Amino acid sequence: MTREQQLTQVFVEVADSLIDDFDLIDFLQQLSERCVELLDVAACGVLLADERDVLQVLAASDEHARLLELFALQHDQGPCVDCYQSGQPRTNVNLADPDTARRWAQFTPAARLCGFVATNAIPLRLRGRVIGVLGLFQTEDRPLGDADITLAQAIADVATIAILQQRTLAHSELERGQLQYALTSRIVLEQVKGILAERWQVTTDEAFTAFRIYARSHHHQLARLARQITDGEFDTDQIPRAPDPRPHR
Amino acid sequence: MAQVLRLLYGADQSHGVPDVTTAGALALGVDGLSVSLVTGGDQTELLWSSHGAARRFEDLQFTLGEGPGPDAVRGGAMVLVPDLALVRHQRWPALTMEAPDLAARAVFCFPMGIGAIRTGVLTAVHLVPGPLTDEQITDAQVLASALTARALDTGGPHRDGVDSPHTLVNAVVHQATGMVSVQLDVPLPQALLRLRAHAYGSGRSLTDISQDVVARRLRLDNTGNGNGTPVPVSDKD
Repeated sequence: MTREQQLTQVFVEVADSLIDDFDLIDFLQQLSERCVELLDVAACGVLLADERDVLQVLAASDEHARLLELFALQHDQGPCVDCYQSGQPRTNVNLADPDTARRWAQFTPAARLCGFVATNAIPLRLRGRVIGVLGLFQTEDRPLGDADITLAQAIADVATIAILQQRTLAHSELERGQLQYALTSRIVLEQVKGILAERWQVTTDEAFTAFRIYARSHHHQLARLARQITDGEFDTDQIPRAPDPRPHR
Repeated sequence: MAQVLRLLYGADQSHGVPDVTTAGALALGVDGLSVSLVTGGDQTELLWSSHGAARRFEDLQFTLGEGPGPDAVRGGAMVLVPDLALVRHQRWPALTMEAPDLAARAVFCFPMGIGAIRTGVLTAVHLVPGPLTDEQITDAQVLASALTARALDTGGPHRDGVDSPHTLVNAVVHQATGMVSVQLDVPLPQALLRLRAHAYGSGRSLTDISQDVVARRLRLDNTGNGNGTPVPVSDKD
């Protein structure tokens, strides 16, 4: 697929999301996957700030525990926190640079341990404020150009629109509730990963993959299905347990 | 607000606790505040309230089984109603019938809980219609999450750093909670308590313990004393 075709696909997906009953977490996850393809980066995550201004992962291009932890590590330090606090993008941050290591003493070695050599953080902007960050990781030393960064910002804006998608955008009462709903949904999803992993005696990554494949093929929203599972309203035996493990990137 | 949080975690928790709602209402700049705890399913029971109007609103929601409070508990997101008189009848049919007789004219409900763990709801009421400011909303959320931590407290000594709310940013803690709930066949809140009890008992952080559980290096046993057993190496796959 050419970049134009990929972009067209993203816009079609966004248009779909503006129709009711769409699945935010799943959409953001697909957006993250598209972002990885479009920008030719290794990993991508959408982070949303909670009421304490702590960044929480809503979705990532892959759900590997190490990547999620790397994002979680940025609750008090790292380029994503800088970007969130300043509202400015942090682009082409070289993780091999001793200055980077000094500045973010915990984050930098952890990111390098995952094999990343560079990172970028793009703000999720909502009118005058910043509600979260799009985080990008690269395993190759290939700086993003201006066009890439513009595209990354557009993807970040699309994520913002999706998070706040609702017909009555004008009401700030609804906005706050939607932000909180998104964060709560993500936590429920993590709890369900644990429940399924233990029931099936597989890893949490494997459990999530099976869960997501089932939800997508049966047109269930991830967040809603997760809640039904935690409420004991859904028989998880219905989910086929052993899908093909996703190939490692 | 800091003072309210100190009250909440004050050394003497036996009395002075209902003052939390009074002090909280003052700090938030609202007319009344109430805290209800989930007792099972979507049912809640009033724990504290600072003002008659707040208590009556809680009582009414409890009786009718509908309203912004139950919605907030169910959905895990705040429900803000800046003017009760403007609520569509279909949204809460019984409640809107009663609304004209209520002293509360605006209500704001903030869920207490962690993901699928629902502990209760913090409700602020105003005697005149009008929205909360962004700052009031943020403060109310902070208070609700402090109340969540309190509601899930094991009753043991509070050790700073062991499980500050920020350790809960780790996905691994939520995953471990889910796993332990299956292992011990207990609901999620108890599973989290067991994890925390084990962290207290072993002097390690909740994140560390959770990582061990998710990696299946540790399995909590069912003796109820908070002890866990390391998984024998031969059992590992």
